[in-house]
Amino acid sequence: MKQTYDEIEESYIKTLRGRTALKRLLKDMAKNRKQTAILVASVMITAIAATFSPLAIGDAVNGVATGSFKIIIEFSLVFISLALIQFGSNRFRVLSSTILAQGTVKNLRDRSFKSIQHVPISFFSKVKAGFLISRMTNDGETLGEFLTFQIPSVVSGMTTVIMSIAIMLYLDFNLTLYALIVLPFLSIFTLSLQGKVRRNYLRTRKTIAAITGNLAENISSIRSIKAFNVESYTEGKFDGLNTDNLNANIKASRLSSVYGAIVRIIEYTGIAIVVFAGAIQLKAGLISIGILVSFIFYVQEFFDPVIQLSQLYNSYQSSIVGVGRIYGIIDSKKEAALDGEINVSSLNDSIVLKDVNFAYDDSDALKNINLAIKKGENIGIVGHTGAGKTTLSNLIMKFYTPQSGEILVDGKNLSEINTESYRNLISPVLQEPFLFRGTIYENVKIAAPDKSEEEIEKLAGDFNLDRIFSKLPQGLETNVGELGRSLSEGQKQAIAILRALCRDPQIIIMDEPTSNIDPYSEKFIFQSLEKFAREKTLILITHRFSMISLVDKIIVLQNGEIVESGTFPELREKKGIFSQMYDILYGNRGESLS
Amino acid sequence: MRQNKKNFLKKVKGVFEPLLFSREYLKNKKWIIYLIIAFAILSTATRLLVPIIIGDIINSLESRNFNAIYLEIEYIMLLAVLSAIASFVVNFGAQYTSQIYAYNLRKRVVNSMVKKKTKFFHDKTSGDLLSRTTMDIDASRNFIMNSLSQLIPTMLIIIFAVGYLLYINVVYSLFFLATVPILIYVGVKFQKKQRPHWMKIRDTYGVMTESIQEDITGQRTVRSYLQEEPQIDRFTGITDTYYGEYMNVAHLRGIYNNLMPFIISAAATAVIFYGGYSSIVSKTDVGGLVAAVNIFTMVTFPVSFLGRLIAFSENARAGIGRIKGVLDRDLDEDVLTSGDFPKSNGISIRGVKYKRGAREILKNVDLEIPPESFVCLTGETGSGKSSLVNLIPRLEDPSDGQIFIGGVNVRDIPLSSLRNHIAIVPQEISLLSGSISENIIFGRNGITEEMTRRAAKIARIDDFIESLPEGYSTIIGERGITLSGGQRQRVALARAIASNPRILILDDATSSVDPETELAIFSRIVKSIEGITVVLVSLRYSAMKYASTAYELENGEISELQNVEEISYAMEKDGFKNETDL
Ligand SMILES: Nc1ncnc2c1ncn2[C@@H]1O[C@H](COP(=O)(O)OP(=O)(O)OP(=O)(O)O)[C@@H](O)[C@H]1O
Ligand SMILES: Nc1ncnc2c1ncn2[C@@H]1O[C@H](COP(=O)(O)OP(=O)(O)OP(=O)(O)O)[C@@H](O)[C@H]1O
Ligand SMILES: [Mg+2]
Ligand SMILES: [Mg+2]
Repeated sequence: MKQTYDEIEESYIKTLRGRTALKRLLKDMAKNRKQTAILVASVMITAIAATFSPLAIGDAVNGVATGSFKIIIEFSLVFISLALIQFGSNRFRVLSSTILAQGTVKNLRDRSFKSIQHVPISFFSKVKAGFLISRMTNDGETLGEFLTFQIPSVVSGMTTVIMSIAIMLYLDFNLTLYALIVLPFLSIFTLSLQGKVRRNYLRTRKTIAAITGNLAENISSIRSIKAFNVESYTEGKFDGLNTDNLNANIKASRLSSVYGAIVRIIEYTGIAIVVFAGAIQLKAGLISIGILVSFIFYVQEFFDPVIQLSQLYNSYQSSIVGVGRIYGIIDSKKEAALDGEINVSSLNDSIVLKDVNFAYDDSDALKNINLAIKKGENIGIVGHTGAGKTTLSNLIMKFYTPQSGEILVDGKNLSEINTESYRNLISPVLQEPFLFRGTIYENVKIAAPDKSEEEIEKLAGDFNLDRIFSKLPQGLETNVGELGRSLSEGQKQAIAILRALCRDPQIIIMDEPTSNIDPYSEKFIFQSLEKFAREKTLILITHRFSMISLVDKIIVLQNGEIVESGTFPELREKKGIFSQMYDILYGNRGESLS
Repeated sequence: MRQNKKNFLKKVKGVFEPLLFSREYLKNKKWIIYLIIAFAILSTATRLLVPIIIGDIINSLESRNFNAIYLEIEYIMLLAVLSAIASFVVNFGAQYTSQIYAYNLRKRVVNSMVKKKTKFFHDKTSGDLLSRTTMDIDASRNFIMNSLSQLIPTMLIIIFAVGYLLYINVVYSLFFLATVPILIYVGVKFQKKQRPHWMKIRDTYGVMTESIQEDITGQRTVRSYLQEEPQIDRFTGITDTYYGEYMNVAHLRGIYNNLMPFIISAAATAVIFYGGYSSIVSKTDVGGLVAAVNIFTMVTFPVSFLGRLIAFSENARAGIGRIKGVLDRDLDEDVLTSGDFPKSNGISIRGVKYKRGAREILKNVDLEIPPESFVCLTGETGSGKSSLVNLIPRLEDPSDGQIFIGGVNVRDIPLSSLRNHIAIVPQEISLLSGSISENIIFGRNGITEEMTRRAAKIARIDDFIESLPEGYSTIIGERGITLSGGQRQRVALARAIASNPRILILDDATSSVDPETELAIFSRIVKSIEGITVVLVSLRYSAMKYASTAYELENGEISELQNVEEISYAMEKDGFKNETDL
């Protein structure tokens, strides 16, 4: 059974269950003690000031009755001061709730982002970028909005509920029990819907993630979509997802509205029960009319926030589902052996691959690889497309770990070596150059932070890359655009090469570094590399041989196995695969191919 | 002065701009809105009836008229049902309408996006566009939902309050009316001050999306260059800005939004002053005064809610502003509907100039590509090869000069027909997550399984695909991440070949394929697709020998290369240095 992307995503990033997510969220929020205290205090002050306001009015009006203008002035001043206090406390309430809400969201986003930097590389071949984006942005936003605007209501609602229950208990114990009779029903009702509500909201979050995933891909591929004239197909696919999302949302809001309506009925029933029970008790002479009347008022005061809280229940569910999804990213399994104990500061002897086997999922990519790369050696890895060249370099860069066999760096197992210190020794030119938005300088500078712009410019000249950049009017100040799309492919590669060389590493791994660079420019680069690479350990992956004379030794890969290895003359002599490839390129030229 | 007044009115209207904007996406849904309004009135009425009934109940209790009480309890239960129905209609109606709005708008945004010229995308990142189609829409959806479900009840309560006040005492109501301009002034000020912050919030949200996407795409580079920390710092910087802007809004809300209920309280104090004073003087009863002050306190919450709505509205407007950038029609592709692809597939490029900003990439290109030929275009890195070939299927348009296919100006061929018959394998491969066959078929009608297989065979990727346990249904990761470089290119090649195009443009499409495979692919293409014209962009002279003619781009101009054979030999050998040195 083939898994859908949804299912694959689910198996890679978990979604925490409601209660667990809530617990963690509260714990995270409570870390900001000061703001929590300010929030609670300001909500309480507002509530108290609000309780006293009617009293002040009453007293002021009493002044009218006694004909004392002084009392009127005094108590009006009290009233307006209470309003001023509320103004102040509300201001603090807004500030502290925003700090808590947005601070929490920021914190969750930052932690997810951090987590993404440390998940195994294989994660990215399973999970769409759009899914992650949706969790971090959309889901985070729902939570942020809920918290920013609703935390105060939750806090003040709960305070009012507790206060009213206390006052009601003080007024009459029996009637209070009658007033609370509906609460178990409300809770049971709420709990019985919970699973369904949660599923509904999960569906809305998943469908918006699907939309995000779809658009994230399609917008980046817009040129191909246009080139192949498949706009309407693209739109059609999107429409399907958009409709799914609409339906999920409608379904969720239908249930939430039904819930809200039934809660209303429960509220009114609660009031009716109190009136009824009160009337009976009054008839029996168990309570005084005065108490009953004030009780009825407090019952209303009590139900208001209960209703408010239950109306928030839906946005709460929707946010908590989102939070669970964000924690899922934060909790994602991190790269194994990320923090090997051993720090390395240089390569002293060799990198040795011993009986290495590697498979992506369950398709074998490398079989029984034995290879020793000595310090200062320049090695070429050649082979047909799909032979496993890039895979081999991925293992050496510790992007993946072999299933069996071991990689030894100066005799130490790679998995025990601190990844950061190890990667610091290596500069790769990846098969697919990747550029950050920003200028060429900035892109190179990430590899050589302490080099000045002049130095980088000079190095570009030393490596003969300046002739490629000289075509750009702004030279190294040129903005490369998203993924370097404002440049030609060759220019992108040239930047990737410059970046790698500027780092001045001990080990350079170049994966088809010049596949998009013209032979003329390539020749110049090659000449500069000849000097540079002599002092380095170089791994050059290529299936074109224009730079092969850089290397001392050639490894030929075929179907994941090393089939030939030796120096250039040795391999020519052998008349094997390498020789055959070479001949096709330079040998029996003009001969037709089958 | 007049001008000021007009501006002022405009600003007040601005709060409701998102609602006006939404009309277009809610066509045919007017009746729901009327229904919501009707039930909102009902819902408010039931709310207002509750205190009246409770008052009656208290009267009955006092007079110990228990029969009346039972009747009134029935009234309460009746109200319960009515209010439940009303609350359902209002809440569901508001959410339903706002979801329909979001659905329709999103559909429209995506529709306009795919209709745009590629030029539109030059200065935009996909992350930013992505946020425009998701959260920016949601910002206005949220406002619409809140307005629909709460604006009407809120306004009703205020209207009711004013009405009741008028009924009690005209002078008291004047006190209330006096607050209205002050409230509006504060509201407008609040709105104006928030504006830039919400715009920044929405833009920052776009930047945030953009950074996550970039970071994920570049993970290998990030890790090899130990950019994890710098990337985290960069991202934290963005979330800091985002947080900071929310705080700025919070500061404004803290002052302006809270000022609104405070103004009402101040007016209430004035009423107590005035009312108390005049009651003492005229010795009238205080009932009216108490009622009036109570009404003032009753409207404080609705008024502060209106203030909050202003915040939602500004968020919505900021989002809509960004969405409008995509809805604008001025960068749409000009789609012709009639006309066919010409019979002959020769291409002539005449006097073509192409500019990027102020930079002239192609100066004056004239090129004749005969029908059914195989030509090669070469030139140094950055010489404009990709730029030139992109002009043929009109992915870009030249700034000057014309391109003809079979004698017909490409501008006179409908875009769909043009692009159906010209297939291009771009240098930057974009595969989508999905199966291999989905990627080859790429949503085009009429591409059968057989054609898919044939295309795979021509692209020499068939053996590989068939070696996979799931064959053509194997799912490849996003951007084809689970394939090797050469495999990706060949899947893209198969995609281009599958539709049997009349013109095939290969923009360095075999750069990651070994030479042996490369030549085999070329020969298969020519042999299997009858009468095809192939424009090959290649840097390798080894590939060039397959072409009948080769052209070189240099300094924005084109020239024919003589004797490819010799050049190729010289160049590559040269690049090679001395074989015997090794
Ligand atoms: N992330 C991945 N998940 C699953 N399979 C993969 C992944 N990356 C590569 N493969 C498979 O592993 C095999 C070796 O791929 P690799 O990228 O190492 O080839 P290569 O020798 O670099 O080829 P090329 O010259 O085309 O770049 C291929 O069959 C490829 O489909
Ligand atoms: N989107 C863009 N915005 C601005 N300038 C661009 C953009 N795309 C390309 N250029 C510039 O136009 C020039 C020509 O680019 P083009 O991609 O056509 O070169 P090319 O000949 O295909 O090079 P290569 O062999 O490296 O692919 C380059 O100097 C490049 O910097
Ligand atoms: Mg590779
Ligand atoms: Mg190009």
